[in-house]
This record gives sequence, structure tokens and C-alpha cells, in this order.
Amino acid sequence: MGMASMNSSGESLKLCVFDLRRGQNEGQELDKILFFYPPDVTFSTQLSVIGLSEGLITFTRLFSPEAACEVIEAERHSHVFHEAEPDIWMVMVVEKNKEIEAIWRVDALQKVLKEVHSLFVMFHGSIRSLLDKEPSGGLIRSHFYPFITDYLNDLSVGKKLQLPSFRETLKERGTVQMLTLARDAALEVQSLVGVLDSCAGTLRCHSVILFHDLLVSTTLSPDDTVDLFTFSVMRLTSNALSSGTSSWSYLRKGTSLSQTSSKSTSPQLLVSSDSLPSGNGHDAGRVIRPLQHNKWIKGKDGFLVTDIWGKDATPTIWLHQRQERVHLLAYQQKCLTLVLLVPTEAIVNGELDISFVKHQVIENATAKILKVEEKLSKGWGGENAYHVSGYRYLLVDNDMEVSRASPSGKVATLAKETLLAVNKLRETVDTEKSRTKEEKDMEICIRAKNNAWAIARVTRGKELYMALEKASDTLLDATDSVQSFSNRYCNGTFSMD
Amino acid sequence: MKEKNSASTASTLGRILATCSKQAKDYGSCVASKVHEIEKDLCLKQFLALKSCMQHTVKIMSSRPSSSQTSVGSGALSHAYIQHPSLRCNVPESRGLFYDDANRLLICVTSSQVFSWETATFNPDVSPSVDSIPEGPIMCIRFSLDKKVVAVQRSDCEIQFFHRETKQTLTHKCRAGSESLLGFFWSDSPLCDLAVVKTSGMDLFACDSAMNLRLVETKKVNVNWYIYTHESRLVLLASGLQCKTITGFQLSTAGVVRLPKFEMTLATTESNSKPIISAGDVHLITVYGRIYCLQVDMEAMLLHTYRFYRDAVVQQLLVFLREFEPLKSESCKLNAKQPYLACLLFLGSLPIYSSKLSVSVVDNLLLVHQIDAKVVIIYDLFVDSRAPVSAPLPLLWRGYQGSDSSSQATNKENESPGSSTINENVVMYEDSWTFLVPDLILDQTNKAISASSSDRTSLLEFLQRRKLEANKAKQLCLGIARALILERRPATQVTQAIDVLVTAYSYSVKAGIYKELKNEKTTPTNDGASPDNEGRRASESSLDEEEVEINVPSGSADEQQESQLSSPAISPDELYKFVFASVEETMVEESDYLVAIITEFLRSISAEKLKVDLNIYVMTIRLLAHSKRFAELSLFITNKIIEPSKEVALQLLESGRQNPRIRKLGLDMLRQLSLHHEYISSLVQDGYYLEALRYAQKRKVTSVRSSLFLEAAFASNDMQHLAAILRALSELIPGFKETSEYYTFHGLLNETSSSVAV
Repeated sequence: MGMASMNSSGESLKLCVFDLRRGQNEGQELDKILFFYPPDVTFSTQLSVIGLSEGLITFTRLFSPEAACEVIEAERHSHVFHEAEPDIWMVMVVEKNKEIEAIWRVDALQKVLKEVHSLFVMFHGSIRSLLDKEPSGGLIRSHFYPFITDYLNDLSVGKKLQLPSFRETLKERGTVQMLTLARDAALEVQSLVGVLDSCAGTLRCHSVILFHDLLVSTTLSPDDTVDLFTFSVMRLTSNALSSGTSSWSYLRKGTSLSQTSSKSTSPQLLVSSDSLPSGNGHDAGRVIRPLQHNKWIKGKDGFLVTDIWGKDATPTIWLHQRQERVHLLAYQQKCLTLVLLVPTEAIVNGELDISFVKHQVIENATAKILKVEEKLSKGWGGENAYHVSGYRYLLVDNDMEVSRASPSGKVATLAKETLLAVNKLRETVDTEKSRTKEEKDMEICIRAKNNAWAIARVTRGKELYMALEKASDTLLDATDSVQSFSNRYCNGTFSMD
Repeated sequence: MKEKNSASTASTLGRILATCSKQAKDYGSCVASKVHEIEKDLCLKQFLALKSCMQHTVKIMSSRPSSSQTSVGSGALSHAYIQHPSLRCNVPESRGLFYDDANRLLICVTSSQVFSWETATFNPDVSPSVDSIPEGPIMCIRFSLDKKVVAVQRSDCEIQFFHRETKQTLTHKCRAGSESLLGFFWSDSPLCDLAVVKTSGMDLFACDSAMNLRLVETKKVNVNWYIYTHESRLVLLASGLQCKTITGFQLSTAGVVRLPKFEMTLATTESNSKPIISAGDVHLITVYGRIYCLQVDMEAMLLHTYRFYRDAVVQQLLVFLREFEPLKSESCKLNAKQPYLACLLFLGSLPIYSSKLSVSVVDNLLLVHQIDAKVVIIYDLFVDSRAPVSAPLPLLWRGYQGSDSSSQATNKENESPGSSTINENVVMYEDSWTFLVPDLILDQTNKAISASSSDRTSLLEFLQRRKLEANKAKQLCLGIARALILERRPATQVTQAIDVLVTAYSYSVKAGIYKELKNEKTTPTNDGASPDNEGRRASESSLDEEEVEINVPSGSADEQQESQLSSPAISPDELYKFVFASVEETMVEESDYLVAIITEFLRSISAEKLKVDLNIYVMTIRLLAHSKRFAELSLFITNKIIEPSKEVALQLLESGRQNPRIRKLGLDMLRQLSLHHEYISSLVQDGYYLEALRYAQKRKVTSVRSSLFLEAAFASNDMQHLAAILRALSELIPGFKETSEYYTFHGLLNETSSSVAV
């Protein structure tokens, strides 16, 4: 619902990753292709897409060497570019069909590419490092195919892939949604964090705590937090574990449903694990598929277990900020999910040390976990907790990479015209932001066709988007509403003095 | 620097103890196992091992010379001390010494005079007050509670009363032959003023100001002996052949309460099938406001403890029943009338290691003097355990070496402040010594415990329950807390410790015990001196094997203030000041740990709904920023774990130099707190002078110098901005166009660009 959908069996979506440093000689062009979706198209088609993209990048670099090319709008397609790593480009080609639903924001599509990449890096390390490891490119390719396929599975409903359309305009991918805590609860949480910190002896552990699909606490940098949060909401939280049926997280919906259906209907999208090109000519053995579905289960001791990393093996992820690999342990108590990151240096004896850390957690933190869970459950306002009646809003804090929005159920009540106006508004702000590097204050109000107001306020790194559908409102009424919203819910951040 | 030194010393000593824990344990268990036969150099081997380990560690750590270690002689880790200097009463022709526990008077009588010393406030040099009484034998002497009347028991049938002001006298006699007087005591119950205990029972009299005695009530009981303490207001009358049937009355201000009759427990052996309890075998003590009765059972070598409730006498065994559940079914014969009776022998009792024994209470601690063994075992009856809080300790004079010269005269001393309960003659350690209530000084006791107790939390709990010499307990607590942190004890352990301190404080505030010493906190000298003292004390507490008494090296004014402290509770502010602030410098490299501790501290504070010094927030920000944990810092701010305030905001701005996000948090906080001036200045500093000006205009803030905006705008080289600001300022400030600033910048503007209109 509410997503631009396209038939995956058609060629409405193409997604490719290529390395400009490779295959520069004639006849070796295929070498630069690291990933192409759909996988069954001919090499000539692949090369034509990549050739066009490469040409555009080379051309635009003449004018803007730093940020070459973001989007090409052709008559029937949009090409969305993202330079994931130096000279490694991800390009998404989406078909502009006549369906009205196929209206999207370039920035939102770019965020999808960014998300794929940062999740990939979190699990496998950077693309460049994998290329350096095995210059033939077999290693990276064997990792990319299952990974991106698993990722795209999340976006598919039935036979169709859903891309974030204008219906999702009051959402922000690549941010974290936080639970608001009372001070006493926050102190309890922080106290728990303190215990988790020291679960591996002298080396400090990092931790991320979620309640339902909201972030409670993190000791990671904002970037790492976003990645881990995204992954947790996709696969680890109680909602994700309870096979997605009750998931209300607005960015991901119906994962299991889509999987079962796609299993039967679209074999080329979900490649079963044995048919995956896991061998693929490199010696790394089996390829780990961190985004595989339904692979996590809650163990008896409360820890989540998976065999994705092999039997009895503990997952490891790469932390961007600290440039180190850490072991990932997830513990769940009802709706509370704790992700504990143990430095690899602390794990000398493999599983023995892991079970020691687990033991420490159970020993030292169980009481606190129960207490925190109880406190948070008591204060839990349900999925509509952050609904403010009369308002449909999106609040983004770019500094902390945090966002908060009206619940998607409430946003769905908005008229299409309103949503289109907000989408337009967001595009305007996106352009304005990309034009100047430094942070600016701005305020934009748009009157939609149905007389609704779409209002954006941006002030030093924080953005507020709002849709007000009271047709009788004057501009003054609308700005007053924004003002009072800002004063009540944003500590007056957006109050224009 | 000073602070740093003391802090590092404390942790040094802590490490020594940690290194030598095995040796210390060996030595301790040796002493404990041979407690009945303890003598000098008994566990010499173990002691030497411990000593050399300690000295070795000290050398390794190249710390200060181990002067204190070499002076060790007796082989004991710690001691209980009798307070010295003692109160001496050199009264010629002394006929005897009495202690009036109701008035806390030490009384010495000669044939015609009564000397009395106030012992409630201890002062060895105080001169006694003297009263004259007619000559005659004196079996017992007590002052009335208003101290106007002196009552003297002359014989087993006669008591004489003397009015100290009117010199009036009165003689009270009982029926000779049929009954005899056992004793008497004054009471403050509304019913009666005087109780006279006779073999036939107890007579209660009312006494008016003219000293007329009026019989109010008679309690008919056959009495062999009785004991009474004023503190408990409880009199126990023993009857029966073995004297084990006890009738009790409490003559409290609430009236006279009769306690149900109960039987003491006595073990029988073949040689002695009918042992008899004497008055000296039963002790009444008051601990934590509860009344306990201790009864010596020599045959079983046990000290039974009873606790008095208002409606029943129950042996203290509930706890033990839980622990020894199997015993109940196997060896206990449950009796409906006297449940658990069979269990008493094993459960509610303390072991005895000596054929002579006495008890005293110091600051709610039960001290059992094992007289033959010449040691003191300390128990804390509050905890549900009958394990002693320390290993057996020798009793020593405090700072007094020549104990052999002591005579009857020297022994008459030692009633110290807050001394309690047991009023009787106790023979201590040497037959020629007759002590009146040996009294042990708190800080020594504590030191002994800190050296022997490994669980700091229970130690802190224990210290927080101390009333006597509260300040020393308090300083010790602070020292312990600091040492815990400096030694990087596991956070859970420190957390528990902090919880204990905070709860104790909260409790004492609610109970109204805690009073802040305002003047103490404000005197700068005190602030300077305290950390040093504490450091020393902390070190002494962790490595206490000096025999020499270490007195607190503080001024007399300090002492006085210390004695005013009625509770060892530590306020959060003091905790911050003396614990966290003092360790910050040393711990800055381990700020993760410290932040975790502070978080626990804040949680504890908030759970008790207390307030805390703002500086701890400022410090937390500093620490988090130091370790670059900016994400967490912003969580702390957004979740209001760090409560907003001007100081916090300024620290955020300061720490935000490394991280613009944090700086923004500081700015936001300033705005939310409506600190307009600071907000505008910071905005201008960050180059947001237009926003700043707009804000100033809206909020009508005129306190910010206008030149600030102008200079910032001029520095930006954007003449349009400068023009805008000039224009806005002239609207905002009346008469701005006449100022020199206006001319200066207006001129500059015109010079640079004539095209911009103002």
C-alpha cells in the first residue's frame, strides 16, 4: 500500500553497482560490473545501462568534480546515482509509468541506495576492501548478489517491488526513531547501559537498546546507530521476530508475507540458498547472508540465535566510527531488544568467551533489564503514541540522524493532493539544501490543490514538515499552528521569533 | 596536588591489601581458629607472612617507607580501644563507686560525702559535684531523675532519701524479717517515680516535691534477683529455684506494661543438673532502639539472645529457622505453648569462648568481652546473621601504654559519650581491674572492621547505622566510597555502595536526623583540610595494623563540629564534592567507568527524589566529551538525565568546541531557559548574527552590546548584512543614531559601498 510498485518480472527497476577503476580497457568492460539487478538481463543490456551512467558521471564531473551526478530525468526513466565509495557507483533506474503512484522523491530513492550500501559495509566491510582482497571481483560479486537480493525482498509485496513513493513523504529513511523517555526511565536505561558496557571485562562493550521498533539508547555514533537500528528493526526486534505480522514500523511492512509469496511466484528474486552463487570461484567458502529472512530465533536464555554465520558462530559486524569488527549479541525480553557489541579483542577463546559474556549479561543485567522493560511498558503509548491530533508531521534532526513522524496509519488519511504537495515541498527543500553546504534557516509554505497547507521549516540542522488539511485555514492560522506545535513538541526549535 | 596524593595513597593501600589477600586470610583464619587460646605471637608465622607480603608490595610500588609496618608487635590486625585519657577520681577514703545509669552519673562515696561526675559529656578534667550525707553504710545510691533527691540504700530493709536543696531526709523501711530489699530505681513513668524491689515483689511509689512517698501499686512476685536498665525502662524479676522464671515490667512514660512470664533456657549437664542463673548472667541491652536480653548459659557455652516485643518474648530464631529448615523437623520438638523451644540452644545463640563473659554496647554494636580469652567479639544484631562483624579483637587502652600501673582508681573512668546500658561491675582481663562499663571508641572499631570485612557495601551499611562519632563514620564512608572508585571496583559493587549511602541519607532526612552544618561547609580551611584528612583516614581504614592510636588530626573546633553531627548520613552534595569531584582528576582517563558510576549515583538520587549539585552534571558533560561519547551525551541531554541549567548549557558550549552538535544542544538549552543574553552572545559567536539580532528584536533584549552585532557583521564582509543590522539596531534602541558606534559603522558602510541604502 502506498508504495510505487512495479512488476519485478518486468524491467521497471534496474539496480547496478559498478567500479569506475575497473574494466577501462576495451573488451574488459564486463569487469566493472559488480552487481546488476535483475540478474537475468543480457550483458549487453547491463553494459548499456552502465555505459550510459558512466558517461554521464564523466561528463558531469567536468563541472562538479566533487559531487558529480545525482539524477538524470529521461522521458521514460529516472536514473538515480549514488557514489557509495570513491569511484564505486550505485545506480537505480526506475521506470516512469503512467500510474500516478510512481511519483517519488529522488532523495528518497538515493536513501535506499545509501541504506543498502551502509548495511553491506556493516556486515562485510567496504566494497573497496573486498575488491582489494580479491582483485578478480568474484568475492564482492558473490557477496553482493545474495545481499541485495535479500534486501530487495523486503521491498517486495507479492510480485511487485515497492519503492518509496510520495505516499511515504512524511517518513525519512536512514534515520532513527526514538522512544521518548521520562527522566527516571532514562536513568534506569542508562544504568543498564553502564552494566552492559562492562560485560566483557575491561574492554568496553557498545550497546543499542530498542523497545518495539524504537530506539531507547545507543552508545554508538549516529551513523553506526542508524545502520544497526535499521538492521535490528528489519530482523531482530520482537516485531521482526514475530514474523512481521504485527510490525507497524513504517518503513518495513509485511516481510514474511512478501517472502512466502515471492518464494512461489518470483524465483528470480528470491534465490534459494543452494542456488545462490555461493561458490563462485573464490576460496572464502560459504557466503554469509546477513539479511536472510526468518533466521533468528529466541533462545532459551533470552539471547537471539541464528545459523546465518554458521552453526554456533556469533555474528560480527563492522563499526564505522571505531574502524573495528565487533561481535553482535542480541538479547530480548518481551518487546525490549538489546544489541550488545563485544570488541573482538575481548573474544580470545571464541565461543567460550562469548558464553562468558552472555553469562555476565544474564548475571549482572537481568534484574535491570526486567526493570527497564517494566518501566518502558508502563509508559508505552502504543503505535500512535506520537500522534498529535490535527497534525501530520515529520520531524528530522540531521545532527543526530533522528526522525519522528505521525504514525503511518494517520498519514494515510491525508488526501493524495496533500501528500503530493508535501512531496513537492520536500523536493524543494532537498534542492535548496544541496545548493548550499552550510546550514540555513528557511520556511516554505505551499497551498495544495485541495486548499491544504504544506509547510516546511528548517533551522540549523533540524527540519519540520507538516501537512494541515483544514481548508478554511489562512496562512496565518497555519503558521500559528506550526508555531504552537513547535513550542509544545519541539522545545520551540522551529518557533520563528 | 594534595588531593591527588591522598587519593593515590588510598588506592595504593587498597592494592596492597588486594595483593596480600591470601596471607591476610590465612592469618585471620588462624586467629579465629585459636580464639580461646589467643595470646601474643600465637599466629606469628601467618602474621609474618602477611607482614612481609605487605612490605614487599609497598617496596615494589616504591611508595613511602613502611614506617607503620615495622612497629607491629602484637600480631593483631586491629584493636578495640578503651577511651583514654580516662576519668580519674582520686577521692581519699573512697568507700565505693556507683554508676547511676538514669542520670549518667559516676558516683563515688566516702563515709559522709557523695562525689558525682557527669558522664554524658565526657571530659576527664571535670570536677565532681559534692553532696554531704549522714554517715552510714551505702549499698546503693541513685539520684532522682530531677537530681534533687539522693536515695541511698542503707541495708536490706532501709532506704534513705536526702533532698539536696532542702536538706530534708526521709527513711523508708520494709517489713523486716518477712521480706528484704533487693534494690530500687527511679522511674519517669506517669504512674510512679520510684520502684523498690523486694523479695516479695515490687512496690511502686509516687514522690512529690516535698518528698512524700505514696504507695501506688504493688506487684506481687517472689524475687530472687532483678536487673533494670534505665535505657530500656525494663525491669526483670527472676524467680524460681533456678531463677529462670522471669517476670518483666516496662515502666515507660506510656505507663507500666507487664511482660508475659517466660522461662530462660538452660542446658543441663550430668555434673550440674540444676544450674542457677545469677543476675550477672543476664544482660539487658538496647540496640537500634530494640531491647534485647542476653543470657549466659555457661553449661552450653552459649549466649542466648532474646528480643523483647511489647506483647511477647520471642527468641531470635525466625531467621535461623529459615536457614536451618531441616533442623526444625529433625531435632526440634515443636511445642505449641513454647514453639521452637528445642531449637533455641542451637539457633538464637552466640558462642562463648570464655568462662567469664560480659557484654557492652557501643553505638548499637554488641561487644562481647570474652574475659578469659581477653578479646572482644563485635556483633551487629541488626543484620540477620550471627556472624561477628570482625575477628576477635584485643581490648587496649587508647593511646595508653602503661596499663599495668592501673589501679582501682584509674579504672573508675571511661564513661564516654553515648555509652549505654549495662551497669554493673565487670572484671576485665586482669583480676585487679574493676571496670564500669568498658567503652570502646567507634573509629577504632570501624577500622578494625574495614580491615577485616571484604564486603564494602555491608560495611557502608554498617557505618551508616552508627550514631556515635557520626562524623568519623561519615568521613570513613566518604573515604571508602572514594577508594572503591579509585580502585575501579566493579560498577555493581560501587552502585550498591552508593545506593546504601543515598538511601541512608534520604532516610535520615525524612527522619529529621540529618542537619547540614552550614558553617562547616563554607569555611574554606575546612574544605582544604578535609580531603587530606579523609585520605589519611581512608588509608588507615584499608591498612590498619598500627597499634598506636591514630587520632584524627583536626583542630578542636573541628572536633566540636564533628560531635554535633548526629548522623553519618552523607548528602548528595557532599558525595559529589568529596567523592566525585575529588576523583575526577585521577580518573579522567577512565571516564567511561566514572560516568557509569555517576549515572548510578544520579539514578539513586532520583529514586529517592533528592536534589544534587549542578556541578555533577557539568562534570558528567566534561567526562563524556573527554572520551568523545557525543552520541551518549546528547542522549543524556535530551532525556534530561542531565537537567538543564545555565551552568550545564555553558559547559555544553564549551565542550561543543570539538563537536558542533553538542554546541547546538547548549544553544538550545540557553534558549529554552530564556537566557537571552547568553543565547544571543553565543549565536553571534557562531556567526548567526542575523538570527541573533532577530531574536533580540523579538524578545526586546537590549543587554547585548550593539557593537557585537556590528563587528560580527562587518567581519563577515557582507555589507548588506551590516546595513540590515544598523537599520535594525536603530529601530531597536532609541537614540542609536546619535551614538558614536552608529557613526563609525555607518561611515564604514558608506566607504565600502555607497550603493547600499541605509
